[in-house]
Amino acid sequence: MAHIGILGAGNVGANTAFFLAERNIGDIILYDIDIGVATGKALDLMEAAPIRGYQYGIHPVEDPGALLETSCLVVAAGAGRQPGMRREDLYERNSDLIDTIGASLKGYEGVVVVATEPVDLMVQRLQAASGLAWSHVLGVGGVLNSTRLRHIIARRLGLTAESITATVIGRHSEHMQPLLEYTRVNGVPATVLLDEEEQAAVVQETRNAGDLIVDMSQRASSYYGPSAAVTDIVQAVIWNSHRILPVSFSWQGHYGIQGVAMSLPAVLGSSGIERVLEPQISQDVLRVLQQSAQDMQTLLAKG
Amino acid sequence: MKKVSVIGAGNVGATAVYYIAEKNIADIVMVDVVPGMPQGKAADFMHAAPSRNYHVTIAGSNDFEAISDSDVVVMTAGMARKPGMDRMDLLKINVNIAKQAADAIARYAPNAVVIAVSNPLDVIAMVCLRESGFALKRVIGMAGILDSTRFQYFIAEALGVLPADVNAMVLGGHGDTMVPLPRYSSVGGFALSELLDSETITQLVDRTRTGGAEIVKHLKTGSAYYAPAASTAKMVEAVVKDEKRLVAASAYLRGEYGHRDIFLGVPVLLGQNGVEKVFELELSPAEQEALDESARQVKEGVKNLEEIYIPG
Repeated sequence: MAHIGILGAGNVGANTAFFLAERNIGDIILYDIDIGVATGKALDLMEAAPIRGYQYGIHPVEDPGALLETSCLVVAAGAGRQPGMRREDLYERNSDLIDTIGASLKGYEGVVVVATEPVDLMVQRLQAASGLAWSHVLGVGGVLNSTRLRHIIARRLGLTAESITATVIGRHSEHMQPLLEYTRVNGVPATVLLDEEEQAAVVQETRNAGDLIVDMSQRASSYYGPSAAVTDIVQAVIWNSHRILPVSFSWQGHYGIQGVAMSLPAVLGSSGIERVLEPQISQDVLRVLQQSAQDMQTLLAKG
Repeated sequence: MKKVSVIGAGNVGATAVYYIAEKNIADIVMVDVVPGMPQGKAADFMHAAPSRNYHVTIAGSNDFEAISDSDVVVMTAGMARKPGMDRMDLLKINVNIAKQAADAIARYAPNAVVIAVSNPLDVIAMVCLRESGFALKRVIGMAGILDSTRFQYFIAEALGVLPADVNAMVLGGHGDTMVPLPRYSSVGGFALSELLDSETITQLVDRTRTGGAEIVKHLKTGSAYYAPAASTAKMVEAVVKDEKRLVAASAYLRGEYGHRDIFLGVPVLLGQNGVEKVFELELSPAEQEALDESARQVKEGVKNLEEIYIPG
């Protein structure tokens, strides 16, 4: 039995397979609507396996039903952003696809990790369409924004990013909320190491990070960062790590918000979210979260 | 490939070599006074090289000259603490061993960064500094990372989360007066106080203070070496790869935190030059007081040192 399924062999799907293989996390099956793409990329990866020492296989599958027999499923299907596009512009394009995928996942016993944009809306739709427990449907927003914040702080302070833990909550959009009080360098709060001006700068830079990559490449949206973020989540699930990562999930009364997905730090294991950790937030942050929830609920209501 | 020498091929030294080799961090030389012992362990490591894919070489010698031109020298030589033995009891024996090693480092590896590991750590680091005549930032003591990693593990165990998600800061001397700082310790970015009640935190702090003794008590005839070796290897890697890593380590202070002419555990930036910066965190009056008390104890140890120390 494969441990991990990946639905969609585009840039995010294929790079997730690549990063997972590099860490020897488990057997992977790769599905794409274009079977040639899945087959070609899986073969290319496996031909690198002797050099890279992969202990598990990456197998293309023609039947998407095989994806149901996994412990963790990455949903990386759908269109990505092009220059000039906002994440929200993908909502209409990807909604039907996510609904269809969600409907096909009824009764799935593993944990689903969604990378398709706009990710919070897609998490909510997929969870609703599949009927899976909210704790089993995760999205990649917070981890990705946190890894960007870690990089940005590391560069500014001139130290290694690996020792930084960062927390970004809320919607995966310009309304994301980087929480510097919950961001630390080996235990030392970022607010101690950065002055107020620097704090404002790193927050702004984090918000713009995704757009910057789309603008710079002028071809496609980012995929190394998102793939690395998905890989961290999958690893925590497959290895039952009890790792704390900020992930998107359908909120169940968190901060008084119900039935819309955004990111919060959570302890992740083989059963998905084991525990949600709620940071103490200011009234300003709360208002932004409420506004984000309302905006998304309006979009979700339109169907 | 950079070169790291480990003086003392006992449990801590040999296990540090293992961690360094497993990550292919640097070529390694092990030096020990016991005839054949470093050679034997080095040969054993090299026999594992095909299986473990070591690209680095590991050599053993009884001759200090083998450390020539090392980028980092790790000083682990010394007698280990026996059950019931206080760290200070080790002083006389280990000071003399450290003096010999420091002389050799100054002679054969004049550009190295020295990481002192032998106990009593803060005193041995001072011996290495004095005897080598090295720049202050190029002599560092390994204690803060070890005390922190123990505190981190205890926190993770209490919360049922991944140990690597916990960060902790433990300052002060490497002894019973070490100063764990819950305020500068965190779990996935959350302050410790948000996830654990103060009673539990106090228990974990106390357990951290006696973490080394807890292992000695279990083993009866030995002391900890996996966690100390892992902590040492982490410092070696930070220096060899010029990581610029913020960690707690024993550094020579020149007025930071109100102390001077003393090796004391403080937050530092570790890079290829050794201690590239000392971070001065704001401490509460109680934390400062605890650090002062810890410094007083370290100074007491150094005072003992003056009595037995006959410069070279």
